[in-house]
Amino acid sequence: MRASTSKKPLQRSARQELYGFDRLYRDHVDLIYRYAYRLCGETESAKDLVQETFLNAYQGLKDFRGESKVSTWLYTIASRACIRMRRKRKGEPEHELSLEEFVPTSEGEFRLQIPIDGLSPEEALQNKELRAALDQAIDKLPKKYRMALVLRDMEGLSAKEVGTIMGVNERALKSRLHRARLFVRRELSARGITQHDNQKSGGWRS
Amino acid sequence: MTQKKTATPKKRPGRSSHHTHREGRCMDLLRRLSGYIDDELPSDICREIRRHLGACPNCEVLIVSLRQTVTLCRHRPTPQLTPVDRMNMRRAILTAANAR
Repeated sequence: MRASTSKKPLQRSARQELYGFDRLYRDHVDLIYRYAYRLCGETESAKDLVQETFLNAYQGLKDFRGESKVSTWLYTIASRACIRMRRKRKGEPEHELSLEEFVPTSEGEFRLQIPIDGLSPEEALQNKELRAALDQAIDKLPKKYRMALVLRDMEGLSAKEVGTIMGVNERALKSRLHRARLFVRRELSARGITQHDNQKSGGWRS
Repeated sequence: MTQKKTATPKKRPGRSSHHTHREGRCMDLLRRLSGYIDDELPSDICREIRRHLGACPNCEVLIVSLRQTVTLCRHRPTPQLTPVDRMNMRRAILTAANAR
């Protein structure tokens, strides 16, 4: 080994950093990819987001003090990276969803239903039209609403945890989540997906 | 089916049970639907909502479809990374980290 005393601790620390990163990456890459895919809606952007997230995590690993769960920390990094990346790609302003726009204006609109009665969610989602409608509805959501919906309803985090990740209080988070759900509900029920489509795609129980 | 007047949760003189949904209990319910299906509301408000749902088939349909929406979101399938993807991304991350 070289005699340089000043280099040894640095080398050891670099090795430790890499070891720490590898553990972090191995244990969480699938989780963050799933989140990224749900936010981006397609694989290449999701992979870009995963790389950006873990690159930031690698650089911030030594400062992570364990005040939150590792997964919460990574979700936060990913969420911020997603906002930055989207801002770079498109400059369109975020539109706000107001509760008023979800007030049904007619009986018919009120009664719109999602035709999945009698099917398990997995069976219902075998209907390509329904799945596409769900994907498009989530994709159309302004990102702060989409993030709330993905973290709470898809990733299954608590409202408090999602609020921490998004940097908003629980009340604001719940309001965003509610509007996001109403938006997706309206998109799904307004599509007029028929049970016949379910039958054709093999979605019925035999 | 006709609705019984007695099932209306709060008496509002001059207002029929076939109210417009921009006002009254339906609007209150619309605001609180997520809290209700997430079981986050105090029990007295839940009771009030249940009473309203029993009297208002439109809100009943709305709540069922919102529940279904949340269920579908929970079960939306996502693709998985392959081992090669994981390896390539790790390499790209470390290369970028060393370059910075």
